[in-house]
Amino acid sequence: MNKWFKSGSPWIWLSAGGVSISLISVLGLLWLIASRGLSYFWPSELYQFDLTDEHGAKSVVIGEIYDREQIPVSQLAHLNLALDPEQEVLERLLIKTGNRELVSLDFRWLLSHNIQKTQTPKDLVVVERRTHGNFYGFIESVVFDGNEVDKNKLPELLTRVDDFQDQIDDLQKSDIGAINYQLERLRLKTRKYQLQDKLTPKLQAEIDSEIAALNQDYAILEKELMGYREQISRDHIVMRAMDGQLVTINFEYILKVTFNNQLSVIEKTAVFFSQIGSFLIEDPREANTEGGVFPAIFGTVLMVLLMTVIVSPFGVVAAIYLHEYAGKNAFTKLLRIAVINLAGVPSIVYGVFGLGFFVYMVGGSLDQLFYSENLPSPTFGTPGVLWSALTLAILTLPVVIVSTEEGLSRIPSAMRHGSLALGATKAETLWRIILPIASPAIMTGIILAIARAAGEVAPLMLVGVVKMAPNLPLDGNFPFLHLDRKFMHLGFHIYDVGFQSPNVEAARPLVFATALLLVSIIVALNMTAVSIRNKLRERYKMLEH
Amino acid sequence: MISISPKALTPGSDTSFEQKLDLTNLTPEQVALDINKLNLFYGKKQALNNITMSIPKGQVTAFIGPSGCGKSTLLRSINRMNDLVDNCHITGEIILHGNNIYDKHVDVAELRRKVGMVFQRPNPFPKTIYENVVYGLRIMGENNRRRLDDAAEKSLRSAALWNEVKDRLHESALGLSGGQQQRLVIARAIAIQPEVLLLDEPTSALDPISTLTIEELINDLKKQFTVVIVTHNMQQAARVSDQTAFMYMGDLIEYSDTNTLFTTPMKKKTEDYITGRYG
Repeated sequence: MNKWFKSGSPWIWLSAGGVSISLISVLGLLWLIASRGLSYFWPSELYQFDLTDEHGAKSVVIGEIYDREQIPVSQLAHLNLALDPEQEVLERLLIKTGNRELVSLDFRWLLSHNIQKTQTPKDLVVVERRTHGNFYGFIESVVFDGNEVDKNKLPELLTRVDDFQDQIDDLQKSDIGAINYQLERLRLKTRKYQLQDKLTPKLQAEIDSEIAALNQDYAILEKELMGYREQISRDHIVMRAMDGQLVTINFEYILKVTFNNQLSVIEKTAVFFSQIGSFLIEDPREANTEGGVFPAIFGTVLMVLLMTVIVSPFGVVAAIYLHEYAGKNAFTKLLRIAVINLAGVPSIVYGVFGLGFFVYMVGGSLDQLFYSENLPSPTFGTPGVLWSALTLAILTLPVVIVSTEEGLSRIPSAMRHGSLALGATKAETLWRIILPIASPAIMTGIILAIARAAGEVAPLMLVGVVKMAPNLPLDGNFPFLHLDRKFMHLGFHIYDVGFQSPNVEAARPLVFATALLLVSIIVALNMTAVSIRNKLRERYKMLEH
Repeated sequence: MISISPKALTPGSDTSFEQKLDLTNLTPEQVALDINKLNLFYGKKQALNNITMSIPKGQVTAFIGPSGCGKSTLLRSINRMNDLVDNCHITGEIILHGNNIYDKHVDVAELRRKVGMVFQRPNPFPKTIYENVVYGLRIMGENNRRRLDDAAEKSLRSAALWNEVKDRLHESALGLSGGQQQRLVIARAIAIQPEVLLLDEPTSALDPISTLTIEELINDLKKQFTVVIVTHNMQQAARVSDQTAFMYMGDLIEYSDTNTLFTTPMKKKTEDYITGRYG
């Protein structure tokens, strides 16, 4: 035994155990969010349950099974169920029933005790809609141009509507959006002239004629838009819900009609991937509980990239000064300790700082100076993507400084001396020799900064993130990148959907799916940075002294 | 020791037919550097004591002595590399072209262009072979591709490396062997055409074959440059140098032509050292 201790084996086992525990927890975490998140996209079976409740009343429920749980019978005593006295637990099912125009809640619990019969009828469909969530039921009839047509023509009709819908979206987002943007700019221009007392009748006339031209364009586009609207709202389908009521759904609102129970595994897989695809590229609907998360992905990535662009030069320059130029005295030491400790400040504090300093002070002053025509409504004096990026840049600055400094101190003095002995000045040596060799370390700092920044939510809630941003910070209107706009963020999206939505049960799978997406995006950003670092390492690898 | 060519074994063989220089009384044309009453301190500790010597032009001068005797420190004072050491200060002067290099107005970068240096361990930059050689020229603002190419070839030829690397000029310099790297570093130093080349134990990290190549190279280099070499290897000093200075505990004990110093040393300490009684 003593010998075993002396051999060091226990410590090897101990450290190996530590590694395994870390590995298991990471894999477990990924497995959990992946399995919960991805199951959201899998087209599940649609069930029809025939129920008899404790009073003997019969009813039918149609929907998807979301969850199952065991509850102790003692909790159900007040229902006076006719149960086997031996039985201790009872199963209950969470069913997503949709059909929001008929019932107020999307979900309901069913006691398995009440279920008389469970079927999966082949012709049950789920209709995904633009508003009001899903509709579950049977297709009663399809009405095309006033006439009832064969149900098999449905896919064809849906494609036709989809094309129109795409055109409408295009019109609304780009053409009409651009006109609105220009009108707004003209309004601001007029206001600016007014403020400066430079508004001559001639200028006013010019602006008026421009506005008139834009309004004319707008009228034409609106007419086109109404035309499309008419085209798609002409047709509808009639659905029969679980309680036999007939509901008319206009094609305008239909996104997708799926016969889940008729799908083979391969078809289901295809649906699964198309669902993931639309989750990635579509805008959210229904208070973020349905649809995709594209604006949030875009906002997260854009904000992180902006943050990187800001933090890297500042961090590197600060590290160079601290390491190369600052005197080696107590003050420098103090400064270094202060920088390291900045990393330990709670992130919400940075949020408060960003709000007070960037948004109110800097943004407010910018508005006074350059955007006075828009006051009292603020331009930069309100949370936005620029302030978020700056706040996170300050938050991650210590990380970049510390790793850059470490990289600088690892460079053998032979490199410096070699360059200096060739008649290079200190600055030339830094620029041509030291910085390239330190670049992998700088990248390490940037990687850590990205990892930290992409996961931060708390400070962003104060300086720029919103639940629903009407416009992306990047679009086709000059100057294309609108740094003053608010944006959506995946981290905040998780919080919002998981805890602030009207239907938390409904949102839970979405929370996991979004979490999985957030993790994947951070991993992707990091992998990009790591591969750049590896390239740099390969290029500037040091001598093996 | 390894076997070396008889020519290299004879001390100062190349200059044997020349007149011996009177090191205490050189004409100004014969002098490359004049070191005058040089004292150097690291903090309070004095590392060089009142060194005075003249280094003749176009010859190889070796500094020998036991570890810590100040020979490397003296070498580094010649191109002011000691400036990089904190709390190092110097009194006395080193005259190059009639100017004291420790004068306030001296541009250190300019000085180091005139006085090149090669270090103990090869220190090529993590760049291509070509970029290593033309580094000094690029620093001086030379960007003409043709002139850089010419300079690179000429320097690599002078450093006896051209034939080995001409086909892979644009590969990383770190792929070269230790001896090749050291010759590359020498090529890099001579590419900017310095007047004086300082070699700080240039072969101590190399194998015997590479050492021999470098020693032969030094013999060729003195045709173009004044070479000052620090070595802890007495045979090497005897093989490559024309003049040898023996230093001990920060003092210059004896300085004369190599033949004399190794055959008939004047001082007891020198004799003890070269006969291997300490060091």
